Amino acid sequence: MNATALGGRRTRVMRPWDWSLPPRPISHREVISAQPATPTGKPPLLMVHGIAHAAWCFGENWVPAAAEDGYPSYAVSLRGHGGSAGGRHLRRTTIRDYVHDVLQTITELPEPPVLIGHSMGSIVAQLVAERYPLRGLVLLTPAPLHSAVGDLLMIARDRPADLGRAIVGQTLSMEPDILFEGLDPATARAYSDRTGTESPLVQWELLLPRTIGPIRCPVLVIGTPEDRLVRMEDVQRTAKLHGVDPVWFPGVGHDVMLDAGWDRVLAAVLRFTDDLPPWGRVRGPAGRGPTPVE
Amino acid sequence: MDRTGAYAVIGAGPHGLSALKALLQNGIDADGFEREAEVGGNWNFGAENSRVYQSTHLISSKPFTQFPDFPMPDRFPDYPSHAQIKEYFSAYARHFGLVDRIRFEADVVRVAPVDDGTTWLVTSRDRASGAETTSEYAGVVIANGHNWNPKQPHYPGQESFGGDIIHSADYKGAGVLRGRRVLVVGAGNTGCDVAVDSAQNATATWHSTRRGYYYNPKFVMGRPSDQTADLLLALRLPLPVRRQAFKAALKLTVGDVSRFGLKKPDHKFFETHPIVNQQLVYHVGQGDISPVDDIARFDTDGVVFTDGRRADVDLVVFCTGYLVTFPFLADAEQQLNWQGDHPVLALQVFTPTHRNLFVSGLIQPDSGQWTLAHWQGMTIARFIEAARDRPTVADRFFRAVTAETGRAFTAGTTYKDSSRHYYEVAHQEYLEALQTAIHELEVAR
Repeated sequence: MNATALGGRRTRVMRPWDWSLPPRPISHREVISAQPATPTGKPPLLMVHGIAHAAWCFGENWVPAAAEDGYPSYAVSLRGHGGSAGGRHLRRTTIRDYVHDVLQTITELPEPPVLIGHSMGSIVAQLVAERYPLRGLVLLTPAPLHSAVGDLLMIARDRPADLGRAIVGQTLSMEPDILFEGLDPATARAYSDRTGTESPLVQWELLLPRTIGPIRCPVLVIGTPEDRLVRMEDVQRTAKLHGVDPVWFPGVGHDVMLDAGWDRVLAAVLRFTDDLPPWGRVRGPAGRGPTPVE
Repeated sequence: MDRTGAYAVIGAGPHGLSALKALLQNGIDADGFEREAEVGGNWNFGAENSRVYQSTHLISSKPFTQFPDFPMPDRFPDYPSHAQIKEYFSAYARHFGLVDRIRFEADVVRVAPVDDGTTWLVTSRDRASGAETTSEYAGVVIANGHNWNPKQPHYPGQESFGGDIIHSADYKGAGVLRGRRVLVVGAGNTGCDVAVDSAQNATATWHSTRRGYYYNPKFVMGRPSDQTADLLLALRLPLPVRRQAFKAALKLTVGDVSRFGLKKPDHKFFETHPIVNQQLVYHVGQGDISPVDDIARFDTDGVVFTDGRRADVDLVVFCTGYLVTFPFLADAEQQLNWQGDHPVLALQVFTPTHRNLFVSGLIQPDSGQWTLAHWQGMTIARFIEAARDRPTVADRFFRAVTAETGRAFTAGTTYKDSSRHYYEVAHQEYLEALQTAIHELEVAR
């Protein structure tokens, strides 16, 4: 990736808040995983869920299917979600804590993974990618780094009551018709009922514009025109930030890993993964001696 | 062997590992060399050149001590032990695939330039067979560490002393102290650790220091004290305010150490490398440790101090630090711009005489170390990358950075002049300088 694509963004070396007020360690993180029957040499996939979801949303289809295709697959529940600890402090949890959770999970993997973030999890994934050398980065219906105010206005237009809930810090509505397009009502309802509570601080943080350092790994951005939480123009802007075009999946809802058509989306992710250069591939000789100092 | 498309990284301690990883991560071919069978360097407890001892724990807490892209596990305490740190480095090396890129039990015996440094010949000796191999590299990153070659003091009468004298380099654990009358010399962090070990194991303990120091607690108000220090930095408080804040915190937690018989510090806060030890003052207060002056001379069964006092001792532990040496580097004085008894580098990484010879780890920060190791490695990788892809940028950068050779990163502090502080850096100022360097190398056209 050349410097132009990185937009002159500055590598972030100084992280004073992480040094002085580090995220609180948690006692347990839920990681759902599945391994290929025999080692395939393919890179591990690590999946990070969005607001009010947990590892189960990837555990349902993607984790087993990707493992079947030869990818060691993992999905983590961020603190206060699913089977991970930290529920007691959920109201004080910020995105920085989630970044910590994902980095902690990565360090337990055998090698650098392809990181897959969904919705709010895409923000977490991009913040991980600016500090950790990922194999690749996949953003599924990504919440925008540049502020979700536009998305909130869309939500306000469609469902005014939701705006009020979000403002007072209640979790955004995760009703079936918001998340899914092609599931039968019973399944959609069952998935919707599995969603939990989100940290109000995290929801508010999504409204703040963020800058990010250069991300040097290949990036895949996936969106859907039917998304009722993230606008197409925000997906486009996220893709532009990374110098790529988004890949669209018409007819699929916001939860692309659960809705009908999840297999097509996963196939696109796996194709992207297959084309990734190996970690640490030599990009030409180190240069036979820079000019000696005279 | 022709490896002129690759760099050699000497040492697989934290700085060697992070430099090797930074090169590979950025698509630069590289081989590591390590004299032991495992990674870890100084933290490879029991290895010949390891200088940690049984009771060693970090004295800086996790957040700034760890590699920023590979945090220490949540299950580690605030101040992990040396065994946990070794486990951490092993995990890092495995995770990033470094183990396969390192030649283990390969003692680098000679590094010499070809054609004034167009390439470098690296000769290593296999420690099992003794066989030597020489390969030609595009350049070399030296990360052999600077805390392994003991600095031995000498006092009058030392030869006639009937007891034992060891250097902390050979101190591995409290067993050697048990039942003895011990004099610990030196108030570095090692000296304080050994004095505390001795207080808990020896029959009697004296602790000889040249001057008074600030003994920082590991925890203030239930939190690691270095995190509090970084909070003051994050708030961008100026040095005098931070000094006052520290003095106040120290007054409330440790108090006036001269009451215990310790010397009053003869310098301002931050003017010497920080000592982090909560137990020393405690053991002095319990009478387990007797603070004493500098040694005047030895006699046959004891030591006389400069204040005229005398102690009967049968074991002396010199915790007097280490000297920087690069025994394998041909003409090191010239290659690394030696002045007096130490090399003078630019950004503590670049030598003004070569564009393909770098040093990582020749720093002693007032903080944790391995965040700095990471960014030193990244700076080197970015420079090599620029030299390959955008030579004019690398050229301009090199001229600018070496024009400031010898620049110290003190954040306004004047360190007490002692060979101990040649490599002292104020971590914030130093990191900001590395950030600027990386930015210039990344975006300049």
